[in-house]
Order: sequence, then C-alpha cells, then structure tokens
Amino acid sequence: MSADDHLTYDVGRMRRERLSRLRHHMAAQDVVATVLLHEPHVAYASGHVGPAVDSTHAVYQRPVAIIGQEGPVHLFADHPSSDLAAEIHPSVFPELDESIAGLVEGIGMATGTRSVGRLAIDEVTGAMLRSGLLDGFDLVDAGRVLGPARLVKTEDELACIDRAQRINEVAMEEVRTACLPGVRRSELAGMFISRVRQLGVDNVLIDPIFQPMPRNLSDGPRTSTGHVAFPTGVGDPLFNEEDLVWVDTGIGVEGYASDYGRTWVVGRDPSSAEQDLFRRWSAVMEASLATIGPGVTLAEVGRAAIGANRGTIPWLPHFYLAHGLGVESAEMPMIGTDLGERFDEQFVLEPGMVLVLEPVVWEDGVGGYRAEEVVAITDTGWRPLGGWPDYLPFKS
Amino acid sequence: MTSELVAARRRRVLDAMSERGVDALVLGRQDNVGYSTGMARLWTSGTRPFGAGCVLIAETQRTHLLSSWDAGIPEHVPFDDLYPITWNPEIMASSMAAIGGLSTARRIGVDTCSPGFIRAAARFSPGAQIVPCDDLMASVRAVKLVEEIELVRSACRVVWSGVEAVLSRSDAPTPIGNALAAMTALGATIPSSEPVVRHEGDTTVVDLGAMVGLYEGGVGGRFVDGRREHAPALVDACRDGATHEDLAQSSTGPWLVRGLGMGYETPMIDAQRGQDLTLMTGMVLSVTDGDHRDVVAVTSSEPDVLSTPPYPAGRLVGSGA
Repeated sequence: MSADDHLTYDVGRMRRERLSRLRHHMAAQDVVATVLLHEPHVAYASGHVGPAVDSTHAVYQRPVAIIGQEGPVHLFADHPSSDLAAEIHPSVFPELDESIAGLVEGIGMATGTRSVGRLAIDEVTGAMLRSGLLDGFDLVDAGRVLGPARLVKTEDELACIDRAQRINEVAMEEVRTACLPGVRRSELAGMFISRVRQLGVDNVLIDPIFQPMPRNLSDGPRTSTGHVAFPTGVGDPLFNEEDLVWVDTGIGVEGYASDYGRTWVVGRDPSSAEQDLFRRWSAVMEASLATIGPGVTLAEVGRAAIGANRGTIPWLPHFYLAHGLGVESAEMPMIGTDLGERFDEQFVLEPGMVLVLEPVVWEDGVGGYRAEEVVAITDTGWRPLGGWPDYLPFKS
Repeated sequence: MTSELVAARRRRVLDAMSERGVDALVLGRQDNVGYSTGMARLWTSGTRPFGAGCVLIAETQRTHLLSSWDAGIPEHVPFDDLYPITWNPEIMASSMAAIGGLSTARRIGVDTCSPGFIRAAARFSPGAQIVPCDDLMASVRAVKLVEEIELVRSACRVVWSGVEAVLSRSDAPTPIGNALAAMTALGATIPSSEPVVRHEGDTTVVDLGAMVGLYEGGVGGRFVDGRREHAPALVDACRDGATHEDLAQSSTGPWLVRGLGMGYETPMIDAQRGQDLTLMTGMVLSVTDGDHRDVVAVTSSEPDVLSTPPYPAGRLVGSGA
C-alpha cells in the first residue's frame, strides 16, 4: 500500500460545493452573515488553510472569513493561496481593540451594511465584547450552519481524507518498527514528524501520542468514568518491553484531518492474552461494519458493537465508538457519546458521512486493545478511506 | 516549571480578579488555562473552539479544571474540582452550575467566548454580567517572573538545536523535517511558529520556534558559513520605556515586536499596530526585523538576549564542534 495510491480531488470544485452547502443552511435558518474565526471553519468556507502552529500563534495570526447570503466570501488573511475564489482583504486581528473597525467594515460588506438580523459566529473575543459591534445582531453559534453543511462530505472531501489517512499510515507503519525498549515517545514523534514532511505534508495536527497503558484500571490515573485515561498527553515516557502502547496521530491535507490509531507492543510479539484482546476487538469491528450503511441509526451500530463484546460497551465512555472526520479530527456524527441514547436513536446515517471507528476492548489484568479505521457511508453500505494497513504484530 | 511558579502565576490572576471585581473567571484559551493552573493539555495545532477550560472562583480561591482524569493535573487541584469533558452542552451546564460560587457570581470574566456560552451562562448564573477579561490575562502575563524568563531562555536553547540541524546538512531534501526532529531529540515535539528554511545563494535563512514545557523559544536569522548576520538595532532598542516611534526608527525591514512567553502574547507592535504602547521592564519579546529574530527580556538597562547561541563565541553553527 503506498501513499500515492489515492483518490484524486478537485480543490476548486470542493470549495464551490462547500460554500453552496453553507449558504443553503444560512438561508434555511435566516442567517444574514456568518463570521468565522476558528481555522477549520475558515478553511471550510474559504479554502484558506494556514500552517499547523501553536494555538497562540494561530489566534494572533488568524484568518477571518465573513460570508453574506450572496457575493464573494470575504477573507481577511495575509498571504492566502492565490487560487482562492474569495475576495482577499488585509488581516484583521479580532483580539485587538484597535482592529475592531476593520471587522465592522467586513461585516458591513457581507450584510450590505445592515446591523440587524441573525448573525452566526464561532467566537466572540474580548475586543468584540468591549466594542459592542455585535450588539444589534441576534447571535447564534456558527456550528448551527456549519454543522449540517459539514456532515455529508463531497467526493473531493472524501478524497482529501483518504489521502491524509494514507500518508499518515505509511509514516506510522515505519515508526512502528522503531518502537523498541529504551526508546522515548519524543524520538518516535520526531521520526513521525520528519517522515510526514518527506511525504510532502507540512501539517501535523496533534502532538503524536504514544502512550503506554496500564494493565489494570486501578493502576492508571483516577477518572470520572472509572475507565482508563486516554489520551493524557503527559510526559515523555520511555518504553519497556512489557508495555502495551496506544498510538494516535493526525495530519492535514487541504485542511482535512487523518486519524491513525493502533496498539503497539515494544520489540516483541503479543502475548496470547493480548492476541485474544485483538480478536475481540476485530469481532467488534466486524459487527459494527456489518451494521453500518445508509438509513441505519447510530444506536443500531452501537448495539451491534456491544453485542460483539459480551454486552459490555467496547469504547472509552468519555469518548465514543465512532466519530466523524473532516476539517476537524473529531466531528459529527458521533456514536455512543454522552449525548445519550435518544440522540443516537434519532440520528440516521446518510451516504457521504464519514466515521472513524475506534472500539476499545479491555480486560483488567491484560489491558486494552484500541485501533481506528475510517469509513465513508455509500449508497449501499460503506467503503474504507485510507489503506487499512495490517495490525502487526497482532494477527487475525 | 516549579510548583512555586505555578502558585505565583495563579496568585497574580486571583489578585487581578479581585482588583477588577471579577467573581469568577472562565478561561477558554489553553495558554491562559496553563498560566493560571499549570495544566498542560494534549497539544493540538491551531485555534480551538471555545470551551470552558478552567474556572477560577474569587470567593473560594479554588481552581476548577476541565479534565476527565487526574493525570497531568497540578497538585493544588483536588479530583473533586475537575469537571469532565463532554459532548453534551446540558452536562457542561450542570458542571458549571455545580461549581461553588459560579451560580451566584455577579461578574463572570471570560478570555473569549461564544454565543452558546453567553446563553448557557444566563441559565447557570442568572443575572451575571459577562465581562471581557482577555486584557486582564494579557496584562498579568506581560511582565514575566524570573523563572519564566529562564524557561524561555532554555526553550531558545532547544530551538538552536534545530538551527544546528539545518546548517550542518545544507543539502538535505527536507531541512525543516530535520530541524523539527532535532528539537524532538531534546523532548520538544511541539513547533510554535511556522518553520522557515530558505536558501538565497550562500545564505541560509532560518526561523524556528518550539514550545518546551509550556514556554516558547524562538530564533531566526541569515546564516553564511555558520555565522549569523549581526543583530539589527531593533533588538537593542527593546528597552524600558521604548515607544512605537523608537522601535519604528530602529527597524530596517518588515518588523514585529510581540510578547513571547507561553506562546504568542501581547503586546503586538509592528508598523501598523501598537502605536500607543510602551515597553516595560520584565516583558519578554520576540523581535523580528527582516529575517532576523531574537527573543529578549526588557530590563532597566540593555535588553537581555535570551536567544543567544548556546555555544562559545566564535564557534560556527552547524559545525557540530
């Protein structure tokens, strides 16, 4: 399986189709303008994808997109890519009191200078609160229009996710062979980051996770759910031969996230008890996949997974059995969250939705097995995104 | 980062809340959460959607943190003062309502927020006024404690290892990858800024930044034969009392003087912005003029350059010696 073995995508068409979906939901909800500060939202609406930097840098250098019911997307950004259809304006800095006049002007351009009506916005900064610039508007969370737009992916979006996932997989399959006793997390992270660059991707979206897991829940950190703590992102552990390591990494292609999860052992073969865990995990995956398809509710998938795990929930209770993937690494739809049974019963899968299945099976004393795979819902069932590499050294 | 430093920072925040009459402070920005509590959350790149990452209560002086486990939680926060991550706004609202002193708060400070939070706050803290406190956090953070300055200095040293990796292999196909890997070898797996490596004839232009234990390091410059071109006058101009005009007159190329500490901070001063700002002793600044970047601490005399190369004077960068 190679990273080049990917679906092709047309970025221009993808941007047009996304904007049209966003505007459809703006019109349906009578939103006069949408003001976006959160980078994945800006990327979705305008096509502008920034570098993967620390959140503090992202905040002070962030692009802003303002979208009216018609006309061009107004993008306020320095050095955006030259092929965007958006109308480009110099950066505004929504953190700075002195920049608020620029934002007022931008909203005016999108709304035709109306300062009343429903305005969708994803963040209200301190400077915005102080200025009162939003006072005349009925404010709603931008998620109300972006959420439904993002839920069903276009073919181009699916191809971007597929490409990101394949590159992520290639890099991680190489890193796996370096996960040996005496190696630190930071060394594996360095290998991953530089390998991804060699494969032509600059954006690593998450500090690479290589977390040695406890064998008993009681040996791990105290949690609110009573289950295991993951991902904690704490420290720089040194791996031992007896470790069972949960790994999780993500990169971005055209703003679309990948999500690679596996369980690794450290320079040895899995024990038979660990191998049994993997078999149970595989059974949960098979049962989930056998259920997934258009017209199926999230609850039906969740029940199939539980059924294959002797009636116990095979996922981390603070997370989910599965989550969506797109311009963010965890988005709707989500199966088995604390949104509750009712939510899962009412939510029906449709073609074009994406699910990252991430079951976890746990046997106290042995530990846990966790891995992730990405699927897109099709007209008849589902298809894999990414190359679904083997689970070595675990074997089916 | 010592627990004394965390305690001193938290004390500064609580004192500032008291001065401004803020009963509860809800922080969404991870750097503000880290400053106030010492907590390091799993790093993800880019902006994060707003969520209440921590809540400080003036009356009880307690810190309530968003976390489903006690790993990585500072000792001063007991388990019962954690509230779990959730996908359900109603559960989050219940968590907020259960925080002693929040429901009765008259003034709730926020560093940023969202329409959903404003609506939810009207229910869990009826009658409370939402007060912007991004400026409160910015002013508390602007002047650094001594230990913070040393943490930035050591973060800059880590970044030099990335510069070293670039210059020691000038023909490498992915020099940025090498730079990042070199920094991870010192435990720094998080880049802060967009890495830059560019060749212009015999000159290699490098600008790198990394987060090391919540504090940022950075350095940039034009290198020929392992020597960095001289620091521009702007670096030396970063002195107590320096105004926008002083900085502008010292600059030679496109320039930016901005706060640096737990990442990118205020003040933010460049040709267009920060006209009314004045530098103060104790500020730590990332100073860019053209391709050159240094990190300095403003003192009562000449600036303390924190991004000085961690080598003997005269040693060539990239020589490995």
